[in-house]
Amino acid sequence: MFSSGVKQRQAAFFFALPALVLLLSVSIYPLLRTLGLAFSSLELTISPVETFVGLNNFAKAFGDMRFWNALRNTLILVTVGVAIQFVLGTVLAVLLSEIRFTRMIWLIALLLPVMIAPVVSGFQFRVIYNDTFGPLNYLIRALSGGAVAAPPWLADTRTALLTIMITDVWQWTPFMMLLMLAGLESIPVELTEAAQVDGAGYWDIFWRIKMPMLLPVIVIGLLIRVMDTFKTFDLVFLLTGGGPGSSTETIAYYTYLNGFRFFSMGYTAAIAFIQLIIIIVIARFFMIAQKRVRGGSA
Amino acid sequence: MFRPRILFLLVAAFAVLASSALAQEPPSHLGVVDYQLCDNFGGVTVTVVGDAGHNLAPYEFWKDDFAAMGINVEIVEVPFADVYQVLKTEFVAGSGAFDVVTFYPSYIGDFAGNGYLLPLDDFIARDPAAVWDPNMEDVLAPFRELYNRWANQTYALTIDGDVLVMMYRQDLFENEEERAAFQARYGRELRPPETWDEWLEVAEFFTRPAGATLAGETLTRPFYGTAEFGRRGFSYAWYLNRAASNGVILFDELMETDINSPAAVAALQNMIDTLQFAPPDVLNFGYDELRDAFIGGQLAMVVQWTDVPKKAADPSISQIVGKVGVGRVPGFVVDGEVAHRSMMPVGRVVGIAADTDVPEAAYCVAKHIAYNTSLENVSTSLTGLDPYRATHLTNPEAFAPLMGLENARAYLEGLQAALADGYPDLFIPGAAQYQDALDLQINRALAGEVSAQEALDAAAAAWNEITDRLGRETQISFWRQALESYRAVGLIR
Repeated sequence: MFSSGVKQRQAAFFFALPALVLLLSVSIYPLLRTLGLAFSSLELTISPVETFVGLNNFAKAFGDMRFWNALRNTLILVTVGVAIQFVLGTVLAVLLSEIRFTRMIWLIALLLPVMIAPVVSGFQFRVIYNDTFGPLNYLIRALSGGAVAAPPWLADTRTALLTIMITDVWQWTPFMMLLMLAGLESIPVELTEAAQVDGAGYWDIFWRIKMPMLLPVIVIGLLIRVMDTFKTFDLVFLLTGGGPGSSTETIAYYTYLNGFRFFSMGYTAAIAFIQLIIIIVIARFFMIAQKRVRGGSA
Repeated sequence: MFRPRILFLLVAAFAVLASSALAQEPPSHLGVVDYQLCDNFGGVTVTVVGDAGHNLAPYEFWKDDFAAMGINVEIVEVPFADVYQVLKTEFVAGSGAFDVVTFYPSYIGDFAGNGYLLPLDDFIARDPAAVWDPNMEDVLAPFRELYNRWANQTYALTIDGDVLVMMYRQDLFENEEERAAFQARYGRELRPPETWDEWLEVAEFFTRPAGATLAGETLTRPFYGTAEFGRRGFSYAWYLNRAASNGVILFDELMETDINSPAAVAALQNMIDTLQFAPPDVLNFGYDELRDAFIGGQLAMVVQWTDVPKKAADPSISQIVGKVGVGRVPGFVVDGEVAHRSMMPVGRVVGIAADTDVPEAAYCVAKHIAYNTSLENVSTSLTGLDPYRATHLTNPEAFAPLMGLENARAYLEGLQAALADGYPDLFIPGAAQYQDALDLQINRALAGEVSAQEALDAAAAAWNEITDRLGRETQISFWRQALESYRAVGLIR
């Protein structure tokens, strides 16, 4: 005979079992399998036989200039691109929070880019950036009377990464705006009214009351966007194919090439794991920041 | 009240609709090829996979024929760049998702060598021949030997005979004013370039800003001498046109590469020098952009796949109808003679998946597209499929409705000359990796990230690393097999 406590624990276990099995089969097992692959050589182009190679794949990654170049490009997109999305998103959220009557119309209009599939926006911007037929260079030439030399956006190593960043900013700034707007709306109006009574001006209220209260939302928003931008693939695939040269190859695109073009599965698993570690470190940093903001300890 | 403007608009709209309707008519049976359909299979389903777009159109053209054979053809379209990835993934997983697989022959070593495809020789040898024999002797030797066979067995049937050819604006090259101006500037006659050095001169000559005069007309937009495939993916093939003609060999018998030799560097430098006479966004030019720039009347000459002259003859999309000449891809002078080489990148073949449940029906579908209806499939502008059989070259009448008999003859002659210069893409296992490594470095040199020498040194190092990683001995044995095929078609001695 079992006590009721044991029975309850057994029942709890059986209730949790389906979710546990699902988690193990679709998340934990693939993760462990990938980790195993990272220490193996599996060249599917030649043979399905897997051989243990220790840390060779990781050593190769650290000596692979193409990997480092892709990581550099990714970090530029993450740091500069997400910073721009944050600033623009905040500005738009503040402006929207000031509007009362037509806010819904503006909100829907501004949210449209988020609703478009990245593949569609990639094609859209490929046309926009086209030097011969694209509207962007047409406008630059028309407005400047031909005085300004419109750059070949996607074909110049100096502008190609920028075009990917601009497209990403166009698509995801509204997401940041939405988060910030929700944060602004959740600030109790009594706080700002009290500050006004005490003689605080608009900027005092913004910097000393609203921004500190928005910090938890900012941390979560930045974390989501940083992790998402770190995986940038579709825009690179559609807009530049990683070129010109290697100027827009991101770490996700390079991983895709190794995995699904070269079928070099061991090396792919190793660089995927390096990315995972980087993302975990970044996420940990944001979570520490989050706890500090909330007044807890890391 | 008579309104001439409205009448004009109506007439113009009718003309546009009529011309596009004429140009868009699906082909019907020409009756040139003798064949019989397979016996009725009683309603089996054959799943065909291929790159999305116009090259799958033949399965729609001939759906009544498939129905007559009791075959329901289901099409799975995958993006052009993802064919290898999708097929390889399904093959490795053993999913049995596809019966007829359309792929680029670069991967025949990988797919046939790993046992993913059924050998077709038994089907080909069956009786009656009118049903089963795809007349392989009719397939031009480079495609038959390099695209269809692996380890002395037939694994695939060609459906698209890709080879690069030079196209040029015949009207400009024949214009008296332009000819005189060229003669005065360069001291020689204006003609389609024979060598890559001439290519640079002609490209320079025709590159003009908006407002300048071209063939007696004032340009409203800049005009360029040429353009290249500058986008990552196939820029290596435009480079190899030059390198192969300059005597560069990809690998010797021991897989040692010549890809960073002085001749190779000179070839790449020529390609880099060409970019100054190309549109400013040439480094983002893929197949579509390169084709559109040419048929949109923006370029004097271009090297492109052989379907582009067909597109240039289609008034619904082309601004240069009847103005296109086709010629041999230029070459470098080696040992006092111009050595021409035309790369044969992409191309399409169909094979039968080894794990298919309906091998006979799948073969009948493949044979119907690859042989029975092939002349119809390659002579329409509704596909991007290019000639690959002797039957195609000897029947210019099939192409006449599209481009006129004279132009059709010139087109097929140009194509035949290009095929005689044909230089195959790598097709040993690992081809995708070798191509990508070279393509990346070519693209870096074109973008000015590195010099031609640095780029090719890096490509050679990458090739050696790939060979070592895949197993040098294995790769050497694969490469020697490939060399046998090269010898069989006379590419090397």
